[in-house]
Amino acid sequence: MEYVDSLTGFRLDGRRPNDMRQIRGEIGVVAKADGSALFEMGNTKVIAAVYGPREVQNKGQQINNQALVRCEYSMANFSTGDRTRRPKGDRRSTEISLVIRQTMEACILVHLMPRSQIDIFVQVLQADGGTRSACINAATLALADAGIPMRDLVTSCSAGYLSSTPLLDLNYVEDSAGGPDVTVGILAKTDKVTLLQMDSKLPIDIFENVMQLAIEGCKAIAQYIREVLLENTKLLESRKGL
Amino acid sequence: MVGLSLGEKQFIHGGIAEDLRTDGRKRLHYRPISIETGVIPQANGSARVRLGATDVIVSIKAELGKPSSLQPDKGKVAIFVDCSSTAAPMFEGRGGEELSSELSVALQRCLLGGKSGAGAGIDPSSLVIVEGKVCWDLYIDGLVVSSDGNLLDALGAAIKVALSNTGIPKVTVILGPSPNDQPDVDLSDEEFLQFDTTGVPVIVTLTKVGRHYIADATLEEESQMSSAMSVSLNRHGHICGLTKRGGAGLDPSVVLDMISVAQHVGEQLMSMLDSEIAAAEAAAAQEQ
Repeated sequence: MEYVDSLTGFRLDGRRPNDMRQIRGEIGVVAKADGSALFEMGNTKVIAAVYGPREVQNKGQQINNQALVRCEYSMANFSTGDRTRRPKGDRRSTEISLVIRQTMEACILVHLMPRSQIDIFVQVLQADGGTRSACINAATLALADAGIPMRDLVTSCSAGYLSSTPLLDLNYVEDSAGGPDVTVGILAKTDKVTLLQMDSKLPIDIFENVMQLAIEGCKAIAQYIREVLLENTKLLESRKGL
Repeated sequence: MVGLSLGEKQFIHGGIAEDLRTDGRKRLHYRPISIETGVIPQANGSARVRLGATDVIVSIKAELGKPSSLQPDKGKVAIFVDCSSTAAPMFEGRGGEELSSELSVALQRCLLGGKSGAGAGIDPSSLVIVEGKVCWDLYIDGLVVSSDGNLLDALGAAIKVALSNTGIPKVTVILGPSPNDQPDVDLSDEEFLQFDTTGVPVIVTLTKVGRHYIADATLEEESQMSSAMSVSLNRHGHICGLTKRGGAGLDPSVVLDMISVAQHVGEQLMSMLDSEIAAAEAAAAQEQ
C-alpha cells in the first residue's frame, strides 16, 4: 500500500509528511475531579482526570519522602472501529498505564508532597492512533488544572517511517501498517527526553531524523498546551474579578 | 465515598423537609440538562448528556448478526454500562464493576421489556432484515465520565437521545437460489434509516430521604437515601419498568403515590428532552 503519494507527496488523509493532525485541548471536563482535561489529536479523543494530592488509600504503599503517583488507562467499549467488550487491566493497558505513570512522575515535584497520593485516570473515548501520546498530553493538562507542582510540561508525539518518508503523528491506518513507530515525550522547557519507545527496526541515521521530527511535534504541542493553560488562567482571573 | 458531617446531613434532611434543597431546587426539580449529539463519529449514533455534574456518554453501534433460532423474527439489543475511573477513584480496576452491572440490568429492565421482547421501548422486530437469517444487533454502550448522582436517569435520557441520533445503513438483500443459503447483504453508504424513538421511555428516579422523596438526587443526597424507586415511563404515561433500591421498606400506598408523582415528573422530563433533541438536530442541520 502506498502511504505517501509519490506524485503529490500527500498522505492518505491528505496531510503532508510533517503535518500534525488537528489538536484540541479543553480543561475542566469532569466536574468532580480535582483536575481534568480532554485532549483530541484528530479523531483520537481522550479524557484525563486527576484526583489528589490526598491521603494514601492503601497505607502499605505510602512513601515517606515523596508522593505516590498512580495511573490507570482504560478504553471505552466504543472507542475502536469494531466494538469489543474489553476487560479492565489487560496487558496492553497495564503497560500504557505504567508508561504514563513513569512519564508523569518524572515531571511532578513528588518530594513536595510526602505521604500523599496522586491518581491519574485516563479514558480513551476514541482511538485512532497515537493514544499513548494523547493520554500523556491530556494528563499534563489535567495535572496543571489540578494545580499540582510540576518541573515542566511533558508533551508527547509520535512519528513513523513509511514509504521511505518520516511521518509525523501517525493515525490508525498508518500505525497498523507495521512500520516503525517512535513515541517521544519531552520536557518542553528543559528540552529533555523523558519517554522514548519504538517498535520495529530502523537504521540509526534515519532514526535520528524520525526522532527529531517527533521532538518538533512535541514542541508544537507544548506551545499549544501553554496557550490553552494561559487562556484558562485568564478565564479564572476574570471570574475572580481581577 | 461521600464524607458528610452530622451538620451537613441535617442540613440536607432539613432542606428536603422544607422543599428547598442544598442547591436551591425544589423537591421535584431536575438540574439543568445539557445534550450533545454525534460525539462519537465512529458509532451509528451517540449522545452526551450532562445533568449538573453528572456526565454520561452513550454510543450505539449496529452490527449485522443472525437472529437466535428461538426468536427468528427479532433482532437483538444489548445494553452495557461502564463506570470510568475518571468519575471516581473508587471505580479503579474492578471497583466500578458492581455499579456498572447494576446500572446495565436496571436499564435493560426499563428499556428492553420482557424476555420475549414484548413491551420493549425499541421494537426488536424492526431490526430484522431477513427472518431467521439476518438481523441487526444493536449494542448500546454507556460510559459514566463524571458521577454526581442520578446516573440511571442520565443514562436513560442519553440512550433516548442517542437512539434519535442513530442512522442504520439501508440494506439491500440478495437472496441465494436455495432457501438455506445465507443471503448476501449490501450496505448503503449514503442512505440511513432513522429509528422510531417515540416508544422509548424516560426513567425517573425518586429518592426517599426522610419522609419525603426527591427527583434527581445529587451524590450527597443519594448518600442519605433510605430507598429509591426508578420508574420508566413512555409517552402515554405507561409504566415500562420499575426498580426499587435501598434497604428500607416502603408502605405499598407510598409506592403507588411515588409512581403517580413519577408519572407527572416523567411527562415534564419527556417534553424537555424532546425539545432538547429538536434543538440538537436543528444545530446539527445548520452545521451541515
